[in-house]
Amino acid sequence: MTSPETHHTGTFDTATQGSGLGAFTGTSVKRVEDHRLLVGDGRYVADVVPPGCLHAAFVRSPFPHARLTGIDTSEATRLPGVVSVITGSDIEELTNPFLPFLALPGLYTPLYHSLSSERVRFVGDPVALVVASSRAVAEDAAELVDVTYEVLDGIGTIDRALDPESEPIWPRAKNNLLYDRTTDHGDVEGVFADADHVFTETFRCPRQSNQPMETRGILVEVDSVTGAVSVRAATQAPHMLRWQIAAYARKESGPQSIRSFLTNPERRGAFLAAAKAFVGDKGEALQSSDSTAMQHQLKTEPRTALQMVRTGAQLLGRDDYPHVDADDIGGGFGAKGSVAREEIAVAAAALAIGRSIQWIEDRMENLMDGGQAREEELTLSIACDADGTVRGLDVDLVLDQGAYPGNPVGAPITVRIMEVMQPGAYRFEAFRQRSRIVATNKGKYVAYRGPWANETWARERMINVVARRLGLSQTEIRRKNMYGDEDWPAAMLTGPALDVTCSVRKTLERAEELADLDRLDALRADAVSRGKRLGIGFASYHEAAPGPPDYFEHVNPGTSALLDQPATASVSVDGTIQIWTSQMPHGQSHETTYAQLAADQLGVAIEDIELVYGDTSRAPFDLLGTGGSRGGPVGGGAVRKVGRHLRSVVVAKAADMLEASVDDVTIERGNIHVAGVPARGLTYAEVAARVVADGETVDGRDGTYAFSVDDTYTSAGDGGWSVATHVCWVEVDVETGIVEIPRYLVVEDCGPIINPAIVDGQVRGGVAQGIGAVLYERAAYDEQANPQASTYMDYLIPTATEIPRIEVDHMETLSPGENDHRGVGEGGMIGAPAAITNAIEDAIGVTVNDQHLPPYRILELMGIIRPD
Amino acid sequence: MSDSTTHVAIGGDITIGCTVNGEAVAVQVPVRTSLSDMLRAALGLTGTHLGCEHGVCGACTIIVDGAAVRSCLMLAAQAEGSDIRTIEGLAVDGRWHPVQTAMHDHHGFQCAFCAPGFMMTAVAMLEDDPNRSEQEIREELGGNLCRCTGYESIVDGVLAAVATLRGAS
Amino acid sequence: MKAPPFAYARPTTLDGALELLSTHADSKVLAGGQSLLPVMNLRLGAPSLLVDISRIPMLDRIVVDDDGAVTIGALVTHTAVEGSADIARHAPLVAEAAPYIGHRAIRNRGTCVGSIAHADPAAEMPAVCLATDAIMISTSTHGDRVIPASAFFTGFLDTALRDDELLAAVRFPASPPGATGSVVEVSRRHGDYALAGLVCRLVVERGTITDAALAYFGVGPTAERVPEAEALLVGSDGRGPALDRAVEAVEATLDPPSDVHGTTAYRRHLAGVLCRRGVADAIARSTEEVA
Repeated sequence: MTSPETHHTGTFDTATQGSGLGAFTGTSVKRVEDHRLLVGDGRYVADVVPPGCLHAAFVRSPFPHARLTGIDTSEATRLPGVVSVITGSDIEELTNPFLPFLALPGLYTPLYHSLSSERVRFVGDPVALVVASSRAVAEDAAELVDVTYEVLDGIGTIDRALDPESEPIWPRAKNNLLYDRTTDHGDVEGVFADADHVFTETFRCPRQSNQPMETRGILVEVDSVTGAVSVRAATQAPHMLRWQIAAYARKESGPQSIRSFLTNPERRGAFLAAAKAFVGDKGEALQSSDSTAMQHQLKTEPRTALQMVRTGAQLLGRDDYPHVDADDIGGGFGAKGSVAREEIAVAAAALAIGRSIQWIEDRMENLMDGGQAREEELTLSIACDADGTVRGLDVDLVLDQGAYPGNPVGAPITVRIMEVMQPGAYRFEAFRQRSRIVATNKGKYVAYRGPWANETWARERMINVVARRLGLSQTEIRRKNMYGDEDWPAAMLTGPALDVTCSVRKTLERAEELADLDRLDALRADAVSRGKRLGIGFASYHEAAPGPPDYFEHVNPGTSALLDQPATASVSVDGTIQIWTSQMPHGQSHETTYAQLAADQLGVAIEDIELVYGDTSRAPFDLLGTGGSRGGPVGGGAVRKVGRHLRSVVVAKAADMLEASVDDVTIERGNIHVAGVPARGLTYAEVAARVVADGETVDGRDGTYAFSVDDTYTSAGDGGWSVATHVCWVEVDVETGIVEIPRYLVVEDCGPIINPAIVDGQVRGGVAQGIGAVLYERAAYDEQANPQASTYMDYLIPTATEIPRIEVDHMETLSPGENDHRGVGEGGMIGAPAAITNAIEDAIGVTVNDQHLPPYRILELMGIIRPD
Repeated sequence: MSDSTTHVAIGGDITIGCTVNGEAVAVQVPVRTSLSDMLRAALGLTGTHLGCEHGVCGACTIIVDGAAVRSCLMLAAQAEGSDIRTIEGLAVDGRWHPVQTAMHDHHGFQCAFCAPGFMMTAVAMLEDDPNRSEQEIREELGGNLCRCTGYESIVDGVLAAVATLRGAS
Repeated sequence: MKAPPFAYARPTTLDGALELLSTHADSKVLAGGQSLLPVMNLRLGAPSLLVDISRIPMLDRIVVDDDGAVTIGALVTHTAVEGSADIARHAPLVAEAAPYIGHRAIRNRGTCVGSIAHADPAAEMPAVCLATDAIMISTSTHGDRVIPASAFFTGFLDTALRDDELLAAVRFPASPPGATGSVVEVSRRHGDYALAGLVCRLVVERGTITDAALAYFGVGPTAERVPEAEALLVGSDGRGPALDRAVEAVEATLDPPSDVHGTTAYRRHLAGVLCRRGVADAIARSTEEVA
């Protein structure tokens, strides 16, 4: 009897490329991307500067919170080389305000523009845009823009934001509490009353920042003859950027947009047809979304309705959406899934003056406004029995979204995912969560690799707290309470189905085997002999990557259809093969992994596959692009599906040519032949030539193809959970508070692996960010919301001397569905903060309530120094 | 003003003569131009990346007169007469440098925005002394930030390059 | 993040440089530029003229006098300091401190003298100067001056140098017999400025400390010595109660700043820990040498 999972270690054979056809998937094929990226031939957004291109710099608020009482651009405008200075009031004339993307019942979402004109809400809030001949001159001019402010009280902490008397950052919201909702699952009161113990702790995670090594940036090119607009950007979601530029960067008057809508029947018809095709059979699901959410929004922000109609009419009436393209992107980690206010402002400026403009964010801007995340406070109560059976979970979450909402992905969706995932893989009987979102005068909260990860952090911390109080080991309490194979089918209290892919407990058991726990006492004694304390921390999670088919309906009813992933596969008339994806790679190696999947389907070599992505005039439509660990399972699922589909049509034609049955035709090394008769085979080029000769070519995505097939991978088809257990060993220097990580182990199960080396890289990179979060990185603000970490001297990203080797052990549980690959991009970051803080608590013997533990904090917790 | 002084006015341009990847170049740029901006904008060598422009991230690392330097912390003017090597000059006649090959073999990078800086740092380090332990490699690479990989694959790549270069010598 | 406009001059003689510095208000000397250029890129400083001294002869030299004193010229990089056998032998604390400075690419351009002139309170070299009683040799159109380290570091990023002066060299006096020392520091990441650091220099004769210098960095507006603690070490063996009292004196005397990286209490505590570690290291070396 063979078990459904296999074990192998994180090492890999580097010499697997070209080892044979049909066998790429599952091997560490070397990266296709390297051929340009390792020789300096990459094309990142800053690398493309067309002749005559102008450059932009922003004038930004130096105050966390202030009324803007005057702005004088005259001196800046006079500086030689300056072409234009655009202010917030100009932007109100030129553009539409941003609209809410996701409404939650009771959530207040402001309407706001890309530049601020009356009030500034964080240090870095853009109030004017300078366009000049060079970035240096634009910066010179930005210093000459004279802005007068009336300073208001800055709100720098969650406590200050929760004070109902605090200065409201969004006056229409009345105070700084933007959302407050409680949901119950099961008999919470009863379970808490009945349990032997109730333990409660509050956990605090400060602000972090995504910090991709490439900052944000956009180039908006305006064709001086046709006025056509094309955009290059560092974006995780080119179609989203395209739509938002079309919606916001130019304002048509109401009558104008209605007129263009009515007088452009072709466009209107095309849009409605596309919308119908996109909605398809999802119409019913889409309508199931909660209407009370929009009612609340319209009550608190009545202009929303008018703006939605106006922007909608403009979108429907226009047929000159910009063309957006993205090539190489230097990381995102969620931050580039947002459409930035700056991007809209630059596009508006380019449209207004009819010239091409490039804006490349600098690092200070990026640290202020490039995306921040994770600032949450969670109070957890666990009701449990004396034997360690956990029964009830009560969570009070407050999320600090900063000043402006993330667009489109930000605090609201994160809160919903946190609510759904909070109980983890534990068999709780009852669960209650109160969730609040507050506004503060800080940079905006965006998705950051496993955006909901603090549910895992707080829960896994609290599980350890309970274990310590009851005298159980970390692993004992987890094993006792986790779902396992005896439980399927099961469902989380919050709804999503659990099946065999929720193999969390297996990863825990495997981690225990690998952790050499019998050596632990010796390790502890050795550490003590060197003036250190050794600790070990376990943490386990499951994440929806992609999740079971019903997953997103439990997060936000009516929206799971948005997660569908289209793909196209084609054979050109010359026989070359293309795979077209709506994914937007920014470091994940899609060109390699998708080539592996497609090459295996099509019986060709890796280099025979061209991946088309990023260009909105070519790539299939999808609003979300790359994010949410969806590239492997959903994007990859679409590639497999469409690759199989392409193979079937190619084989059908070849069978005709070979006068054989399709069932007898096979493809090896690009040779399409009757099985056993390779000598009489056909190439893709020969089959394509016959298609041309027979007049059977088809219209593909951007021209005529021998074959072109489309498919959509729906999230409601397959799926499953991606899971892991992390184990961290720390050594704490009791004199300095410095924490070292002598060993780190991840046992993960993302199903069958497409490319082990790439999976290992994703896991290790995520763990490194988790180490950064706990020991080094903090997007710090003071009480009044003045930033304290606006350069890389203060925002500390760990280096090669801080990040240890990370052992990765793989389990590969098969799912019942046809597509087994599950996502792995976020997991490292989800598990690491919990494992590290659990290890630190184990080392110092004091309850750890903070996620961020710089050396001074460690000594404070140990009682060696007094807090300031 | 003595003859011994090159003096340039505010807002004026300066002409820089230097060797870049083996070729003599003369390029005119505004006085305040950093060496990184000169390479990228004036010479079109966009393989040298700007990650922070204040000397911390190391993405812009190049080799000047045999030593790794931050090109964002060097004025173009300071490069007068110097011998500059960038990522574009690493491969010879299309043949990759052992560091490039090793990075490819070990899946060294992901988004690879940091890659040119890491590789130029590694090349300078190995030219200085190819016998490097893992700890030395980590310390020498400690001035380069990577946000994707957790460094292990990059360190493994350099270790492999060490082995290659040892074998070759 | 582009520097504001400035004028640039690259004199090829010392006199040419000094003339420029004396006639242009708000000019700055540019040697390695590893402290100055980030400040300018961040637009925290906007000198009107940069005087690039890199082409001035003789400033890149390391000179050892017959008595063992070492003079380091204004263009000697940290990497050159690290690689100098002369410095390793005659000014070992300078050699020991150099690898702590930034990272390789910074050390390849940054200069030892430039670091001293910049006077960052968390930098290593100013503390090395204080601990070793180094002499600063400055020059201007008005002539040369020698400034003892004890009078040089006057405040946060501030020194006794006048605007028209160039710090041409630093001279580290010869070590007396029995001299030993250590450089210890704690930083958030390898290569970062220190949260707290100590350059400890002792003279030990037959197991007794006859002279002591404890020069701290990262714990105040400038690098600073702690005479109270030094006095407690002199005459002792640097262990046990004498060391305890010195540690107490360090903690009682220093009043470090608080920031996101470390609180006042933390840095004060670290200063005590470093006193213990630095003195112990120095004494251990002294015994090794005897043995």
